[in-house]
Amino acid sequence: MNKRNQLAEVHNSGKPYIIYKSKKGFDLFTNFSKKIILNNNNIAGFLNKKHKNNSRDTDLYIGFFGYEILNNLISVKIPKQKSIKFPKGIFYKPEKKISLSNNLKYKNKDKYKNSSFKININKDSYTKIFNKFKKKIKSGETYQIKICTKYKTKSKIDPLNFFSKLSKTNLAPEAFMIRDKNYSIISCSPENLITKKGVNILTKPIAGTVKKTKSLNKIKALKYFRKNIKETKEHNMIVDMERNDLSRICKPGSVKLFKQKTVEEYKDLFHYVSLIKGKLKKNIKNKDIIKAMMPGGSVIGCPKINTLNLLNKQEKENRNIYTGSFGYIKFNGDMRFNIIIRSILNFKNISEISVASGVVVDSNAQHEFNENYIKAKALIDLFK
Amino acid sequence: MIYVIDHNDSFTHNVVHQFSLFDQVECDNYNEINIKKLQKASVLVFSPGPGNPRNYPTTSKIYKQFKGKKKMIGICLGFQQILFCEGAKIIEQKKIYHGFQSDIKVISDKSLFKKGKIFKVGRYHSLKLKEPFKIDNFDITMRCLKSKVAMSFENSKEKIYGFQFHPESFLTINGNLLIKKILSA
Repeated sequence: MNKRNQLAEVHNSGKPYIIYKSKKGFDLFTNFSKKIILNNNNIAGFLNKKHKNNSRDTDLYIGFFGYEILNNLISVKIPKQKSIKFPKGIFYKPEKKISLSNNLKYKNKDKYKNSSFKININKDSYTKIFNKFKKKIKSGETYQIKICTKYKTKSKIDPLNFFSKLSKTNLAPEAFMIRDKNYSIISCSPENLITKKGVNILTKPIAGTVKKTKSLNKIKALKYFRKNIKETKEHNMIVDMERNDLSRICKPGSVKLFKQKTVEEYKDLFHYVSLIKGKLKKNIKNKDIIKAMMPGGSVIGCPKINTLNLLNKQEKENRNIYTGSFGYIKFNGDMRFNIIIRSILNFKNISEISVASGVVVDSNAQHEFNENYIKAKALIDLFK
Repeated sequence: MIYVIDHNDSFTHNVVHQFSLFDQVECDNYNEINIKKLQKASVLVFSPGPGNPRNYPTTSKIYKQFKGKKKMIGICLGFQQILFCEGAKIIEQKKIYHGFQSDIKVISDKSLFKKGKIFKVGRYHSLKLKEPFKIDNFDITMRCLKSKVAMSFENSKEKIYGFQFHPESFLTINGNLLIKKILSA
């Protein structure tokens, strides 16, 4: 049986399954023997669980932490918000892993209906929030903060149809998809937050994105980023913040910047990326790593705690998966996690897409509001 | 032992790592201060952090209690905190420096560093010291080459030092040397 058929077979069987980008293509995980729905009481136990077997490639938990539970884990409170009661985090124990190529061939001819997307913050409200945060930057309460806007529509979707379309236009290195009975997530996240193997840990923050055009090649993109003072400052801040977060759990002197402000090329865009590595201190537990690194700084702002408090006071709606992390923890302690951005959450037949862009002292409300729309558009277009 | 007092910043652990190159370092949040560590430490470091020195009365108390008794070093907010305790005004600046690399110059011959020397440093500050500023034993020893904003003070008599910039930032060239010199002074 060929692999293309395996994908369709799993999909058509109706079983829950997960697809995660691998180096060569995609990995598909299914036949889940356990499903753990996380809450504030069971997360510590889940993270510090010891396992006997760890040699098989399915000896791992794969799933996601939502934004709220990551706040709770570092004792940041979230005031009561509008919520769709989506779980705070879910992890699965797969019993089967299938390797797939980059070419996910799947087509669903079904027509589905959906109404148009509604945004939760209009331009006027956005500008007000923006100006409020700018004042907070002037008074030193935050140095950079990301305002989140949410687009929603009522729709039934076929997640694999969306995901295979998305993987053709944007083969993102941290892309993933979850299809379960009552929800699905489709994401083309480009950003790796944690790669941990043995004592080695690395993070690869992205700050700065520019759309590819015919005249803009990689060298010109680098020039663009270097000249752009706003992008450079935002990026510098994130690099120092990620160095800091790694320093919490790594041996002194081991945290090093391996790639400083390089450009990575994707199908439609260029990202401004750095790579920071460290060696873990002795006796560091999974929970320590998650608490030090999440929620990922580049999508929150800086400094993390104060900025999270400012955001949480402002935002009226639960972020759900947005700016949480998806990935796996192997039973031998190795792990890989991304930052959940550029994603669609479909729950109770409502699809939501969240986006955010940064307020720094010299950013402009109109520009950032439009930037948010551009980020959402690639996903909204899937619904056409 | 060096005791770093953290003001909930996302750069504090870079400071901890930097100082760890020279001595044993302990670090606690400003509202979870451990008295034993505080007493035991030979050097107190006030970390960077968000907000204004007046938001951190506990840190001001610690400063006043140990002034002249222990070596003290303030970084960014910590720099402002020490000056604030000495009666200086800390004000908003028109141009804000977050994630900025600047050239700064040693302007005083009372400095541990050679007068006229230029350093490349990383800056993350909304606020600055209001000048003119004159307090006994405190010398402004470095300034931003462009804006002339105060970038460091040294009080060699009571061994109190402050940097408005971030010696621990990857944007600061030779930051470790700066710290080494202050610690061995």
